[in-house]
Amino acid sequence: MTSPPSARRVLLVAAAIVAALVVAVACGLVVGPTPIGAGRIAGDALSRLGLGHSTLTSLQSTIVWQLRAPRMVLGLLAGAMLAVAGATYQGVFRNPLADPYLLGVAAGAGLGATLAIVNVADVSSVPAWTPLLAFAGALVAVALTWFVGGRSLRSTPATLVLAGVAVSALFTSAQTFLQQQSSTQSIARVYIWLLGSLATASWHSVIIVVPYVVLCCAVCVAAARALDIMSVGDDEARSLGLSVRAVRLLVVGASSLGTAAVVSVVGLIGFVGIIVPHIVRLLVGTSYRRILPLSVIFGAAFLVLCDTVARTVMAPSELPLGVVTAMVGAPVFVLILSVRRMRTP
Amino acid sequence: MVHLEHVTLHAGATTLVHDVSLEVAAGSWCTIIGPNGAGKTSLVAALAGLRTLTRGTVRVDGQRLDQIRERERARLVAYVPQHPEIPVGMSVQEYVSLGRVAIHGVLRAPSRRDRDAVSDVVERLELGGFRDRDGASLSGGERQRMVLARALAQSTKVVVLDEPITGLDVRHQMEMLEMLKKEVAECGLTVVATLHDLTLAGLFTDRLVLLDRGEVRRDGTAHDVIRSEELAESYGTRLRVVTVDGSDVVVPVRAREDRP
Repeated sequence: MTSPPSARRVLLVAAAIVAALVVAVACGLVVGPTPIGAGRIAGDALSRLGLGHSTLTSLQSTIVWQLRAPRMVLGLLAGAMLAVAGATYQGVFRNPLADPYLLGVAAGAGLGATLAIVNVADVSSVPAWTPLLAFAGALVAVALTWFVGGRSLRSTPATLVLAGVAVSALFTSAQTFLQQQSSTQSIARVYIWLLGSLATASWHSVIIVVPYVVLCCAVCVAAARALDIMSVGDDEARSLGLSVRAVRLLVVGASSLGTAAVVSVVGLIGFVGIIVPHIVRLLVGTSYRRILPLSVIFGAAFLVLCDTVARTVMAPSELPLGVVTAMVGAPVFVLILSVRRMRTP
Repeated sequence: MVHLEHVTLHAGATTLVHDVSLEVAAGSWCTIIGPNGAGKTSLVAALAGLRTLTRGTVRVDGQRLDQIRERERARLVAYVPQHPEIPVGMSVQEYVSLGRVAIHGVLRAPSRRDRDAVSDVVERLELGGFRDRDGASLSGGERQRMVLARALAQSTKVVVLDEPITGLDVRHQMEMLEMLKKEVAECGLTVVATLHDLTLAGLFTDRLVLLDRGEVRRDGTAHDVIRSEELAESYGTRLRVVTVDGSDVVVPVRAREDRP
């Protein structure tokens, strides 16, 4: 039995999570094949604000601010969005296994990206319109899921989840077919895209994703109290004055839109959306007013830290980010779970 | 206070409630009785505005429930379901506070007045000692009190309860009903409840409505309904009513041929 955590405990966990974010930002900027000290990077950042002088060469400055910084910021955005979307889905569907890809975002984005990649003769790179098609595919899939499972007045969260499963299966089969019809090189490209990566990050991709992530995270965090109310079930939540259908449409829409935007740029990074909210929940209890804001921060920190691992352990080649999130996330999760079990009789 | 006019309710092709008209006066307690499957739960859910009616209207305090928003409705009528879902990890205080959402709004934090109202009802229902406990860890009786506290925290004029004493031992059943009775007598609360225990229904409530196969079979004072022929007929079993200390007690009787 979990008991509600004390205010002091929540504060401590929040402080630890913020500290993790600071460490993640530092790692994102400092760690890399070219050694550049944290102090010198900080000095350069201050000099840009008109304070003091920078000791970085222009090459070092480019490495930090044009390669590492956008990658780190994109990681923060993607991690925050995936974590908060996962937490929101778990709340709105009252299903602990829900992840941001539940309603077809992944399958739709996968199909869109595959369409873009297999339809070009040049197999040396991913075409520029891949994110656009992935984004469109993700939105079409979620809209179809909602159309099939969520429109009717009598539809329950379970109907929507089942519709998501069906739509995902449909899109995945179409994607597999397309992939199977294409060349070996395209298959490799598609596969790499599906695994997700921050390697192609640029300020351009950051600017594309920022408005979606900020808006969608804000909507989800603002809905925290509504999700707490929904934990008593639809009928009771309505009797308490909540427009359950409106809330569900709003938060599912926001989570899906934000996830679609992120996925279209970084590919399908798995595990963040399910592991981060659960770690946070184990630490601070079941109230979404604590889970959602802390998931935003911890998701951001977690993904950047995983990315640091992904790009360093086998340098100069990179591990797929999805592999690292699972390899780091699963043991952490199991550890917290077993510690909690030992403490509670 | 509560007005039902020709209420009919379907689930697919099945009729759950058929043409029920009912009027419950302010500050009174009306109990709906009837056998399993009579449509009691559907009727009270409709009364709380949680079902889409096939025909008819439900008005509370003059307002049609199907024409107002959820939040306004939650300020008119509170609802205690038969099997309330108790979220694991939510404290008693937090759970009771959910009752205030319709007042402070879902995007706002509770005001001082909301917090005072919650404290007040927590004390009134003797939940003060459990405030910070996980609601899911409470005993059956404490849990029912917590759910009632949430409904009372809504500060509505009408509270609708579906089988509020199911699963409680006789002491806790009496305590629960006494608490409700006090709210009716002292705060002018209007209560509509369903109850299975006919004796307790007669003991606590002003009026009984006997529902059978979705229709009202008998409607009147407790004494009148409990002693009616329709009661035994509806339940399809032999019942005897005896008087103990001036109160009607309903006793089931086995047929002679069934006895060993």
